[in-house]
Amino acid sequence: MRCRFNRAWVTAAALLASVEAAEAHIVASRLGDFYTGALHPLTDLQDLILWAAMGVLAGSLGTSRGRWLVLLFPLGLLAGLVLNRAFGIVSAGPAANAVIILVLGLLLAAEARIPTALLCSIAFGLAVMRGAANAGDVGPETNQLLYAAGLVCAGYAAITLTMALTLAFRRAEVGTSMAWRGIAIRAVGGWIAAIGIMMVGLALAS
Amino acid sequence: MTGNSRLMSFRVFPHLVVALAALALAQPALAHEQTGVAGGLASGLLHPLTGMDHLIAMVAVGIWGAQLGAPAIWVLPITFPLVMAFGGVLGVLRIPLPMPEVAIALSALVLGAAVAMRLRLPFAAAAAVVAVFAVFHGHAHGAELPGSANPLAYGAGFVVATGLLHLCGILIGTLTRWPAGGRLVQGLGVVIATLGGYFLMRSLGGVA
Repeated sequence: MRCRFNRAWVTAAALLASVEAAEAHIVASRLGDFYTGALHPLTDLQDLILWAAMGVLAGSLGTSRGRWLVLLFPLGLLAGLVLNRAFGIVSAGPAANAVIILVLGLLLAAEARIPTALLCSIAFGLAVMRGAANAGDVGPETNQLLYAAGLVCAGYAAITLTMALTLAFRRAEVGTSMAWRGIAIRAVGGWIAAIGIMMVGLALAS
Repeated sequence: MTGNSRLMSFRVFPHLVVALAALALAQPALAHEQTGVAGGLASGLLHPLTGMDHLIAMVAVGIWGAQLGAPAIWVLPITFPLVMAFGGVLGVLRIPLPMPEVAIALSALVLGAAVAMRLRLPFAAAAAVVAVFAVFHGHAHGAELPGSANPLAYGAGFVVATGLLHLCGILIGTLTRWPAGGRLVQGLGVVIATLGGYFLMRSLGGVA
């Protein structure tokens, strides 16, 4: 019995002695810059709103129009990153981002059936802008190839998943009395446009 | 102490020691820092919910939309945020509106009365009434936007909170499909109108 008691003390002492900071994110390893590139846009609300709005818009237009974005959007991010690093092209300011949020929201709210070429142009232009914006935090010690790979993978995953979820959400209403799903997507568009209007106002005020 | 109880205490003791060690290792979670994006989003989400006059008016908008039926029930959640954002921009730009607190209290009174009386205005007239009040509500929210921890997060928060309050109102409004539910909803309209009247009196200085 005494032996069991001692073992518990030893276990407790070993636990206390082994306290270390949790390093769940292996930022110090070789792939650290990959994760930095992948996580960087996900920690910026502007990227989250713009990417989500783009994905929902493409998904609501159907598979045939939206599928181009699976390739174009990540390529646009890469192009923006390269343009920033090679030629110093910086991203447009908050006013331009606010206008894009507003436009995407209005297109969603109005359930506009825009042509594929226009959808692809908007998506590519947005991706170039956000790619350049995300290049702002690339330092001289950053492995640019890994950072770019992370950013492109995040863009691919985000746009594909958002489009797929929107398509699945809309497809479920076909042939049923679930017309509210289309209205829900338009309402989300109204919310996004409202955020855009206020951000435009804020950009004008500052 | 009997032999059995002594044996039991020896069995419990090691667990107690480990539990004490685990307690000694405990650190605060710090999950809610309330700064930056988190602070801005939390402020925005809570702003329409912590002001009772805002809250009841937004729920009343949803209920009235459900009572009016199509197209109000679906036009409302799509267009209301846009009109409210216009008011928000006026607030951001510091363009004053006449007696905003009175108008917000009046919105709760009028919309509550519309629900209580099942007022069936033509769609354009109902939309105009709601739009005027939406500008005042947006102005109150927008005035706090520039000073928030993260303006984009704050704006997103209050738009989403307002939209969810409309949704609550629409869901409550679906009770009107049943006769008893209809009366319940009308009773809720009376409560909203009464509260709106109280806020109106208070904003006019009639109640302390």
